[in-house]
Amino acid sequence: MLLPAIPDTGFDLTMSASVQSGSAVEYPRHPPGDLAIWIFILAELGVFALFFAAYAFARSHNVALFDEFQQHLDRRAALINTLALITGSYFVVRAVAAIRENQRDHCVRWLLAALSMGALFLVVKWGEYAHHFGQGITLSTNTFYMFYLSLTFFHFMHVILGMVILAAVAWKAQRGAYSAEQHTGVESGASYWHMVDLVWLILFPLVYVMH
Amino acid sequence: MQYTSQAVAKPYFMAAIALFVAQILFGLIIGLQYVWGDFLFPEIPFNVARMVHTNTLIVWLLFGFMGASYYLVPEEAETELFAPWLAILMFWVFLVAAGLTVAGYLLVPYATLAELTMNDLLPTMGREFLEQPTITKIGIVIVALAFLFNIGMTVLRGRKTVVNLVLLLGLLGLAVFFLFAFYVPDNLVLDKYYWWWVVHLWVEGVWELILGAILAFVLIKITGVDREIIEKWLYVIIAMTLITGIIGTGHHYYWIGTPVYWQWWGSIFSAMEPIPFFMMTVYAFNMVNRRRRNHPNKVATLWALGTAVMAFLGAGVWGFLHTLAPVNYYTHGTQITAAHGHMAFYGAYVMIVLTIISYAMPILRGRTAANSNKSQVLEMWSFWLMTVSMVFITLFLTGAGILQTYLQRVSDAPQGFMVVQEQISLFYWMRELAGVVFLIGLVLYIASFFVGSKDPEATVEVSG
Amino acid sequence: MAMQKRIIFGLRACTWIWLVMLLLTGITYGIGQQGLSGLGISLTVLFLALLKGHLVGAYFMGLSQVRGFWRWPVTLWLVIPGGLISAAFIMSY
Repeated sequence: MLLPAIPDTGFDLTMSASVQSGSAVEYPRHPPGDLAIWIFILAELGVFALFFAAYAFARSHNVALFDEFQQHLDRRAALINTLALITGSYFVVRAVAAIRENQRDHCVRWLLAALSMGALFLVVKWGEYAHHFGQGITLSTNTFYMFYLSLTFFHFMHVILGMVILAAVAWKAQRGAYSAEQHTGVESGASYWHMVDLVWLILFPLVYVMH
Repeated sequence: MQYTSQAVAKPYFMAAIALFVAQILFGLIIGLQYVWGDFLFPEIPFNVARMVHTNTLIVWLLFGFMGASYYLVPEEAETELFAPWLAILMFWVFLVAAGLTVAGYLLVPYATLAELTMNDLLPTMGREFLEQPTITKIGIVIVALAFLFNIGMTVLRGRKTVVNLVLLLGLLGLAVFFLFAFYVPDNLVLDKYYWWWVVHLWVEGVWELILGAILAFVLIKITGVDREIIEKWLYVIIAMTLITGIIGTGHHYYWIGTPVYWQWWGSIFSAMEPIPFFMMTVYAFNMVNRRRRNHPNKVATLWALGTAVMAFLGAGVWGFLHTLAPVNYYTHGTQITAAHGHMAFYGAYVMIVLTIISYAMPILRGRTAANSNKSQVLEMWSFWLMTVSMVFITLFLTGAGILQTYLQRVSDAPQGFMVVQEQISLFYWMRELAGVVFLIGLVLYIASFFVGSKDPEATVEVSG
Repeated sequence: MAMQKRIIFGLRACTWIWLVMLLLTGITYGIGQQGLSGLGISLTVLFLALLKGHLVGAYFMGLSQVRGFWRWPVTLWLVIPGGLISAAFIMSY
């Protein structure tokens, strides 16, 4: 009566998919891992997208300022960080592949390797921050630094969260919680980690290189 | 009623509705004072009437949240409330404290009230929405602690469902952030900075958790959809709320003397604050669509869906309209703010309390599941009258706000505040008219508790 | 089939993707170190970034194996902000 008919969006959060191995070309409707984590991933991507767009437009009003202070950034540190995150993502892909073949120990090892890449990222980034803060640079120094510090700091926090998630997954994997038939948790954690990588892949060139 | 102790919710709901009436009556008074400044002067000047309007709103919503909790937590936890006597005692303490406070506002000058209540021992009076004497605030803390203890013990003893845990988390947050009402720095910038830790982190933070939990409970009961699905949506919604709303506090930090980066952080994060409300709307309609049963309480379903839509429009859309710093620069503190505030509070919090009352009150009064058809139809009329008139109130205030912003700030020849108020007064008259219609809706709402109360309960045909 | 299992020239497909991304990163870094600038260079660098993003989304996240709605959000996330960033850079030249 007072309830308008709205077609079912098919937004069924009870289902999760694991990609079928084998030759059947039955593509699933859902991405690997829990759908809830994917909504979370989209939300995070959304915030960063807004931030990136804001950066680009702020820059267009302050080109000289942005170009100048961009040169003060440590590009080599950023290179190491980019390579670390890409490699970390690769390790996570191998971890998922391993559990899909029921190789629990390999899965754990790949996850630990990915965690070490994350740790490397944090250490290098920390070093950059120490240098900046040592020079008295803060969020209020100028618009470029405000963006640089905000963007990288938010990303830094997400690397930490990603590592916490991977550590939790590794822990559970070690205790035999996953198998070839049931490993949604591994896929969920992996997907989140890839998001963290994805964000940095845009951040690095945008903030450190493009001018 | 599955558990006899759920009955303690009834007085809370009744007090809520009574205070709602007081709130609207005073709302009509101040609405009239906008265009007829001397109305009731000097007995009830504008600033006093406004305090009564805003304070009764907050208090009745709190009564509503407590009643909702006392009703739904025992049912969710599958155990009786820990201490029903404590709930009744706190009810009277809260009601008397609220009554005395409102009487204080109305009967003595505010400065005298401050003296009488020994405000200078721990000064907390004088801030918007937090005008209560310090002793009232302390009373609120005591009531809140007792309430949390009671609910917490009940959850601890029983089933810890997602609905229970989210509700408890929201209520705990409500209590914790209220403590900032006691922190009144001398520095004006800091004073305002922390004031928002009560207000923003309440209505754009922990209160949304409470809203989500109550809505989830009602949807589970009314639609019969699998609990796991509804709970998963609830998690996602509150995650989005917290992700966007916590740093989104920055959209109150644009012009108060805080660093400039808040203009960026506040804009970016608060721009996304409509998202959880959008999700709530999709979620509510989706759940009702794929319902497994036709619940006889049709009007509660209407309230539930209406809450989601109006919350999205009032809090989400109208909030978004003025959340970006470059826009807010011009609209700050204008009638745009009032427009958003009214629809947001009504859509999100007034409506969710009315939703749970609509669902629970028939049961508390002895029905199996719902009121008679006659009662429900009358209540539906009240829903539409209140909701549509609120939309008009909002539209009129938005019009007033746009004109005000233009004349006072944007135009090449900006005019002074009072001169502009004169020019937008037509909008105020129309707003007041809409407010009268709202009151009619509220009267019908009260009537729906009595009309048709002797008629048989509404039923639904069981489909084959 | 799951791309982690495909073997091409002795290496898994995902390993090749990883190596390609390391290469693209090196190129971007090199451009930065050379101090190259200008609209063309900037857009090229952005394009390389979006390409890497696409590789992560399609192959590491496995989205190329998904049909329906979920195939697109990450792609849209690359295209729309990418477009906005390009617009901002074009505007500032």
